[in-house]
Amino acid sequence: MTGAASGVGPDRLLARFPQGILGIDPFPGTAGRLRFDPAIALELFREVRDTLGYTHLAMVAGIDWVQTREVLYAVWSDAGRRYLLLSAQLPADHPHIESATAVWPSANWHEREAWELVDISFDHHPDLRNLLLPTGYQFHPLLRSFKLHEPEELEVKVRDV
Amino acid sequence: MGGVTTASSPAGVPAAAAATGPATEPAVPFLEIETLRAREFIPAAKEALASRISEEAQDRLLRPVFNWAGRNSLFPLHWGLACCAIEFAAAFGARWDAERFGVVPRSSPRQCDLLIVNGTVTWKVAHKLITLYEQMPEPKWVIAMGNCATGGGPFRTAYSVVPGVDKLVPVDVYIAGCPPRPEAMLDGILKLETLIKERGE
Repeated sequence: MTGAASGVGPDRLLARFPQGILGIDPFPGTAGRLRFDPAIALELFREVRDTLGYTHLAMVAGIDWVQTREVLYAVWSDAGRRYLLLSAQLPADHPHIESATAVWPSANWHEREAWELVDISFDHHPDLRNLLLPTGYQFHPLLRSFKLHEPEELEVKVRDV
Repeated sequence: MGGVTTASSPAGVPAAAAATGPATEPAVPFLEIETLRAREFIPAAKEALASRISEEAQDRLLRPVFNWAGRNSLFPLHWGLACCAIEFAAAFGARWDAERFGVVPRSSPRQCDLLIVNGTVTWKVAHKLITLYEQMPEPKWVIAMGNCATGGGPFRTAYSVVPGVDKLVPVDVYIAGCPPRPEAMLDGILKLETLIKERGE
C-alpha cells in the first residue's frame, strides 16, 4: 500500500466514520481496540487496510457474551510492527456481519471457524462451511448454551457425510 | 507352475520319488513338495493336494500354514494420529525393534493387515479411518492403542471426539496407557498373535 500510513493509530478514521466508530480503547501491546458498528464493517476494513496500512489479518475470534455476540479481528501492520484490534458487538438472536474476505483473504478460514463454533454468520462469505467439525455437525459447541453430551447422545451421521 | 511332478522338480529329487512318476501315489505326499522353492510352496501344495484329498481336508491342512505365516508377519498401517504415534514409532526403533516379530509398518492400507489406531479419533477424521480400514485386504485386525482410541480418553465427553474407536471399526486388542510404552504395544501385538492362533483364521 504505497502512500498509506504504516500502522498508525486508528484515530484518523474518526472523521471518516463519525457514527460508525463507537470508541477506541487503549489495549496493551497494540495500537488500540476499535469498537465499531457492524453496519460499516466492510468500509471500515478497507480504510484500515488502505489508509492505516494494516495489510494482514491475523485472527478472527467469536466470543459469546450471552446477551450479545462479539467478533474480534486482530490486524497486523508489517511497517508499523504492531496489531490493531477491531471489535463489533452483534445481536445474539441473529448474529451476522459482513465477511472480511473481500479485504483480507486470510479471513476465510477464521470466519468458518467462528461460524461453526459460536454461530456467527458472515454475509457474502465465499465458502461458509464446516472447517474443524465434521460436515453436517448440528451444534455450535463454544456457545455457552451448549451442554456437554454423554457420548451416546451425540449422534453424528459419520458415514453419511 | 505345472503339476507337482518329477518333470517340474529340480535336480536332486529323491530317487524313490522320481522313480514313481505322476501316475502312482507317492508314499509321503509332501516329499516332492519339500524340494520346491519356498515361494512356490503354497500353490504347488494346493495343486498337489487337490488331486488327492477333498476341499475340506485341504482347508484343514493349509489353514494352519496360512495362519502361522499371517500372524508372524503382521503389517500395520503407518498412520500416526496423536502422541501414541510417537511410542508407535519408538517401538520400531533400535531399542525395541518390533521388526523382530515380523511387524513392519507399511504406508499403504492395501499392503496392510493390521490397523493400529494410535491416537484421538475425532468425528472429522472418523470416515477417513473407516475408508482406510475398508481398503485393507482380508484378513485384517485392529488394535486400539492408548486410552483415546480405546474409549475417548480424557476427551471422552468432548464435542468432537469419538468415544472409542470400536464405534467405527471392530477392535481385536485394546492397549491401555496414556500413551502406552512401546513394551505395552509389543505386548499387544503378541496378544494379537495369540488371538489369531486361537481363532485359527
